[in-house]
Amino acid sequence: MPRWGMAADLDRCNGCGACVVACHAENNISTVGPDQAAMGRAKHWLRVERYWEGDFPDVRLKFRPVMCQHCDNAPCEPVCPTYASHHTEDGLNAQVYNRCIGTRYCANACPYNVRFFDFFNPSWDKPLHLQLNPDVSLREVGVMEKCTFCVQRIRAAQTQVKAEGRGLRDGEIQPACVQSCAPRALAFGDLEDPESEVSRLSRSPRGSKLLEDVGTQPKVAYLARLSDV
Amino acid sequence: MDRRAFIKLTAVTGTSAALASCGNPENQIIRFLPAEDIVPGVAVWKPSVCPLCRAGCGLTVRVMDAEADVVRDGQPGIVRISAAKKLEGAPEHPLNRGGLCARGQAAIQVTYHPDRITQPLKRVGERGGGRYEAISWDEAISEVVLRLNALETSGSQRSLAFFARSGASHREALLRQFLARFGAPAPITYELFGDLVLRRANGLSFGREQLPTVDLANARHVLSFGADFLGTWNSPVAQSVGYGQMRRGRPGVRGSFVQVESRMSQTGANADEWVPARPGTEGVLALGFAHVIMAEKLLPASNAGSAGRLIGGWNEGLADYAPQRVEEITGVSVARIGRLARQFAQSRPAVAIVGGPPLAHSNGLFTALAVNALNTLAGNMGQPGGISFTPQLDVSAAVKADGPAGAAAPTLAQLAGDGTASGSTPQVLFVDGANPVFTTPPAWGVREAVEKVPYIVSFGSFLDETSVLADLILPDHSFLESWAEALPESGANVSVASVAPAVMRPLYDTRAMPDVLLDIGRRLQRPLNFPWQTFDEMLAASFGALRPATADVDAWTDAQGKGMWSGTLPAALTRQSETTPGAPGLTYAFEAPRFDGDAEQYPFHFLPYPSSTFLDGSLAHLPWLQEMPDPLTSAMWSSWIEINPATAERLAIGEGDVVEVASTQGTIRSAAVITPGIAPDIVAMPMGQGHRFFTRYASGRGANPMEVVAAVTEPTTGALAWAATRVRISRVGPPDGRLILFAGGIRENVGQGR
Repeated sequence: MPRWGMAADLDRCNGCGACVVACHAENNISTVGPDQAAMGRAKHWLRVERYWEGDFPDVRLKFRPVMCQHCDNAPCEPVCPTYASHHTEDGLNAQVYNRCIGTRYCANACPYNVRFFDFFNPSWDKPLHLQLNPDVSLREVGVMEKCTFCVQRIRAAQTQVKAEGRGLRDGEIQPACVQSCAPRALAFGDLEDPESEVSRLSRSPRGSKLLEDVGTQPKVAYLARLSDV
Repeated sequence: MDRRAFIKLTAVTGTSAALASCGNPENQIIRFLPAEDIVPGVAVWKPSVCPLCRAGCGLTVRVMDAEADVVRDGQPGIVRISAAKKLEGAPEHPLNRGGLCARGQAAIQVTYHPDRITQPLKRVGERGGGRYEAISWDEAISEVVLRLNALETSGSQRSLAFFARSGASHREALLRQFLARFGAPAPITYELFGDLVLRRANGLSFGREQLPTVDLANARHVLSFGADFLGTWNSPVAQSVGYGQMRRGRPGVRGSFVQVESRMSQTGANADEWVPARPGTEGVLALGFAHVIMAEKLLPASNAGSAGRLIGGWNEGLADYAPQRVEEITGVSVARIGRLARQFAQSRPAVAIVGGPPLAHSNGLFTALAVNALNTLAGNMGQPGGISFTPQLDVSAAVKADGPAGAAAPTLAQLAGDGTASGSTPQVLFVDGANPVFTTPPAWGVREAVEKVPYIVSFGSFLDETSVLADLILPDHSFLESWAEALPESGANVSVASVAPAVMRPLYDTRAMPDVLLDIGRRLQRPLNFPWQTFDEMLAASFGALRPATADVDAWTDAQGKGMWSGTLPAALTRQSETTPGAPGLTYAFEAPRFDGDAEQYPFHFLPYPSSTFLDGSLAHLPWLQEMPDPLTSAMWSSWIEINPATAERLAIGEGDVVEVASTQGTIRSAAVITPGIAPDIVAMPMGQGHRFFTRYASGRGANPMEVVAAVTEPTTGALAWAATRVRISRVGPPDGRLILFAGGIRENVGQGR
């Protein structure tokens, strides 16, 4: 059984935000518009965080793409009264939308602020709806949504290789963010396979996990910008 | 019974059963038979070309079935169509190699935009009022032909003007042919952030009036003067691919990167060392580095060749640019100049890049020439890890066009200035993919000049500040519905010609602009006699002249399948760069940049910069980009003014406060963003917002910084020096709720919303 994980090399990431829009395009994330965004209701399963350090002229800025960390010890899971937020066998922190009753306990529990509540039914001014990805379900009002590691792409690839009677190649599955990334800052793959790119990167001496000390056991490794080590 | 007949039968019986059984309108939807064979749920991938900037990245488009609302024979219903679902970077494309930027990801929303113009329109009511009525293509084209015939009859063919998007393509070549054959001047291709100055400098330094291709992947050290090469400048995706390689693609080697600029750009944020220099003095800093390198004999001065000879005092070791004087001018310390110069000279290969704000001053040409000289001093021209120039296909040579050469285009400033430069105000104006009313300073009077033109035709898909003045709109297909193509100017060390057929059928009653031009050309009283009936014939002729990739398939077929042709161009088909030679023996020296507004009254430099999401504002209509948090501020759906914390404190300006920016040209108001990444005497504002007319998502949102920009130009090119305006700022009120940030605070803040 694979265990999916990601690595983000912050020495390659340049903060362009291609991954942010790629995620919207792939996962049918509706835009909420300025009024709702002003109330903090914009949904970005993946965001690029900025950390400013110092004062002009000795100022530095670091970028860090943050998505669901798919924790092995995920705080969002035990608090869910309906098991909508649960762990899959292959280590994904999954959300079953039609089990979700919108308590938002999971969002409160998540230290990464990567869960987004649907305050209203999504809408697309026609014909923007023609772009919707039929492989990803729409989320209705009262439901929590979040990064899935593009589970639809994982399952499609697994079905495909099964039909072809072969194993998955490392790098064959690319979530939308990984695929869009021009400097190849993001890598995705099986952490159980010690030779996979994501495993190799996760073992890097530059690597660390986000808020690791709270005990969440995240599956996204961040490789520091060298000049920061 | 075949499959089609079976479906037809079930569709009919199903519909009538539903009609009979219930009154719910949902169940009365008419399902039309699709016009194409589609397997539901199965994706196919087709090549295309990103149209949003000049870079010309290759796409692969995921196409699947979708249900579109249509009207057939007056009957509304839905039909299953093949629809583009997702754009990805083409993995084999020599430029973007599978990557695609945020803007490119959002390009699909151009096709599905709810405010697209769906059919030819004719103005009713006042010009600029935005009221139009539907008109048939036949009537519309007849009207244009009538106008052009009238010009021909009165012998005033020269009073046809054309605002076009810039960048080489077959479309552009066809347009030039059209104008030349008709007898009109070449198209006016104004671009706000257009790199005119750098091209001119490259022409003088290297004999190539072209943007450079930077081999970042093989560089050990990158020294960039203001170029936002990972965000908005030149070929950002190709450069980002190279950047990743430069940092982490070579075992044991990590390239270093220094950025010189006075407002931290998205690119500058990634630098190992960030060096603010006073605006308009970046060229002096470059020569300060060269001075140290030559004085310490780190590299031979003779390396620089002709690029060096353009700089006054080069052969004397640049005595005028000794570190002490450079420190006085630029504000960068002597010790730092020495250290950075040594780093540049000793990391081999090292490359210098210049672009963006440093060239947007009255002395921009000198700055570019100075950096060019520094590059040649490093000996990196045409070398791995250095600068090269991508050979570009010469379309006229490839299609063996034998039409007359067209007259040169007036510049936009000339056209608008007093209408005298080109003889008179144009009588007919065509507009395609350009919005100069929005992107020019008010002092140029472009809006007023356009309003004076008696007849304006737009090929635009949207109403914007320029096309809303049109009398007739002939809407183009979207790039996914027609031939998409580009001839990239830079980004690869081999020649690339991107081309791809339509990905999907047109959604509306639109027509491809090149085909409309050919049609007009045929119907004129003096037909223009193009050798091609359709645009794809022209493309076939052009690609047919190229060398096939393999023995068993010709270049044209191969290119359509892959979405591009790439390889070595024979000399006869290579575009010869139009170079404006400098006067022999002329050398360039630093002159203090000229600013509009005196420093007493207007104490701040004003820096309008290309938005990471909207570029010059042409992409503000795409909702994904409106809602994408800005990389440096996390602002969405907003306009803002970046202010240094010390300045803000002095002027009692708080985050989000409404601030007024005043120049000699006018005033605008926007929200303050307080950020340490900007010098205390500079305020910056992204371009993009402040549209009066630009779809439901962008209209009436924020402020347009161009409204305070003065008409200072770089004198040799006439390019707008968009960073040469001085302003004063003042707080006018508390936050008005229009600055929307994604970051900070607890996310749900209903009480603090507006």
